[in-house]
Amino acid sequence: MQRRTFLGLSAAAASLAAAGAFGGWTLFGPSGQPLLLSARDDADGKHYAVGYRLDGQRAFATAVNERCHDVVPHPTLPLALFVGRRPSTESYLIDTRDGRLLQTLSSPSGRHFNGHAVFHQGGDWLYTTENDTTEPGRGVLGVYRLDAERLQRDGEHGTHGVGPHQLLWMPDGETLVVANGGIRTEAESRVDMNLDAMQASLVLMQRDGSLVSQEYLADQRNSIRHLAVARDGTVVSGQQYMGDMHDAVPLLAIKRPGQPYQPFALGEAQRTAMNQYTASVAIHDELRLLAMTAPRGNRFFIWDLDSAEVRLDVPLPDCAGVGAVADGFVVTSGQGRCRLYDCRGARIVTNALQLPAGLWDNHLRLA
Amino acid sequence: MLHKSLIASLLGLALVGCGQQDQTAKVTGALTDGVLLPAYNSWQEADRQLAERAAAFCAGNADLPAARQAFLGAMSAWSALQPLMLGPLAEGNRAWQVQFWPDKKNLVQRQVEALLKSKPQLTQADLASASVVVQGLTASEYVLFDADIDLTQEEQKARYCPLLQAIGQHQQALAADIVAQWQADKSGMAAQLKQFPNERYADSKEAVAELLRVQVSGIDGLKKKLGAPLGRQTKGIPQPYQAESWRSSASLANLGSALASAELLWHGNNKDGLQSLLGSDQAELAQRIDAAYLDTRQRLAAFDLPLTELLASEAGRKQLNELYDSLNRLHRLQESELAKALGVQIGFNAHDGD
Repeated sequence: MQRRTFLGLSAAAASLAAAGAFGGWTLFGPSGQPLLLSARDDADGKHYAVGYRLDGQRAFATAVNERCHDVVPHPTLPLALFVGRRPSTESYLIDTRDGRLLQTLSSPSGRHFNGHAVFHQGGDWLYTTENDTTEPGRGVLGVYRLDAERLQRDGEHGTHGVGPHQLLWMPDGETLVVANGGIRTEAESRVDMNLDAMQASLVLMQRDGSLVSQEYLADQRNSIRHLAVARDGTVVSGQQYMGDMHDAVPLLAIKRPGQPYQPFALGEAQRTAMNQYTASVAIHDELRLLAMTAPRGNRFFIWDLDSAEVRLDVPLPDCAGVGAVADGFVVTSGQGRCRLYDCRGARIVTNALQLPAGLWDNHLRLA
Repeated sequence: MLHKSLIASLLGLALVGCGQQDQTAKVTGALTDGVLLPAYNSWQEADRQLAERAAAFCAGNADLPAARQAFLGAMSAWSALQPLMLGPLAEGNRAWQVQFWPDKKNLVQRQVEALLKSKPQLTQADLASASVVVQGLTASEYVLFDADIDLTQEEQKARYCPLLQAIGQHQQALAADIVAQWQADKSGMAAQLKQFPNERYADSKEAVAELLRVQVSGIDGLKKKLGAPLGRQTKGIPQPYQAESWRSSASLANLGSALASAELLWHGNNKDGLQSLLGSDQAELAQRIDAAYLDTRQRLAAFDLPLTELLASEAGRKQLNELYDSLNRLHRLQESELAKALGVQIGFNAHDGD
């Protein structure tokens, strides 16, 4: 602790060049600082899989064909899958040490990726959410086996719903929670086809495909899209409402252990600030905080996970990915600079990060 | 300790881009004092008159044309804010409380009538808890201008006056609240556009980027307001009732107000607007943007009929489509070329989410 403080002070006094030279190891050490993984574009609209240290040092930026969405780090190996954004048929397996593209993973015919996936805790299996375009909208859990740094399709199961989006593990590492968004789209398309007959659901299922539970929200056009799971098994979902701008619908919902899935107690000021659209949700387990980005409302929020008290409600243009770090949350933006919100004190402190500004896609992972 | 180290490294880096940041902060500061604050103050004043005139009309101390004139003033001042829609008014759906557009299903009429039926002695508190559809200028316009309502008849006047007055008060209170948030000492919106970093902007570049974004999206909004009645999303079949302010025939006047403040953001009040951030090597782009504003402005000034009447003739529709194309050129120039020249990212996740 003393050493870091000392180095921090000397960096403050140093010139840009010296500060840059410190970047690699002095400030944080090679393993002390997490690697921020995300999909990102450049100003010309080209797509990249990128990895950055939080001090701005770029680990890699690998050009990829298709725009990606979420990133799935491998539990033990220096690998991550950058998952194609719907309706992409490609995902990219990247070596996170140098950005080397190890494999372009293609979805089988009649399937496309929906932007999210998870590695099983053992590291041998990967599960993705996919759309069955032969029966448009039918949610598919794609099953892939990792063997010698290559993913192979091994099979699939239904997700018990339409338009599955994010999926995560419950704390047992064996049960999946899946956000079936309820929106039917067709091959090579992002156009919604069933807004009058949507049915979103929150599903718990085993990785063999068997259904554990399925729960719904009251509003049919409220699409359940993104998830966060706390260590105690609390599941939080962020919604996108497909109805009118002035309808009052819950855009955050929660399933506490042993309780039914229900709206999160959300203040009216926060709800209306979201413009009916939420992007990423994240939970800080040690601090018991919940964070969420609302890029259409240009707003970032932090709540106390247990009391639902608002801890932070601030403007942040086109805020995108959010992830927990030791001190709080890191947030990226499609338009502005990335922020670190230090949540350890009674008052949350905002720091702008020296990462490139803008063009960050909706999700980030810290590996 | 992570954050201390990070701040330390930021400090070193912050020293570098200072000259450029100064120039940018000068522009955001000048636009705040010269364009934004005056526009928000004018809106507050127009809403004060809206409330005052509604009260006078209902008390028999002002005539209907005077009440309508105050509405048109409020509508014009509100339209001028369209390209300046950042900060408190842009957040929390507050803009919906001022205007309900587009109103595809004539919700304004239905909800106003339903509200007055259930609450004949409507108070401002009743209105504050009612739907945004009936809280704003669109409902006011319905009462003051709809062909089926005759406010010169005492019975109808008695029926609609509680709503007219409550809307005036609601708008006046809303504007006062927003302007107070602009002017608040340290955390106010005006202060946040002048002193960096702050809770909203990490640096002046973020602030100028937001100014350009709201200006571009304001102009895009004008295209939508013109494109909807022109039927550009409905296979070319004109939709006169999809126009903003069709009842008061103020559609084109609104457009003019909005365009004028977009241009003011570009030029600045004293040649200190967004334009002043372009280097001498970008003079050609600046000239093209100037020319685009001039073209749109001249086309708009050439109309001598209200929008709904223009929509009824082929010649009128042709003229309106040409105005749309002119707005579109202006929009594209700023959205792509100006944004690129200023290094501003216009849209990303918010416009194309998942």
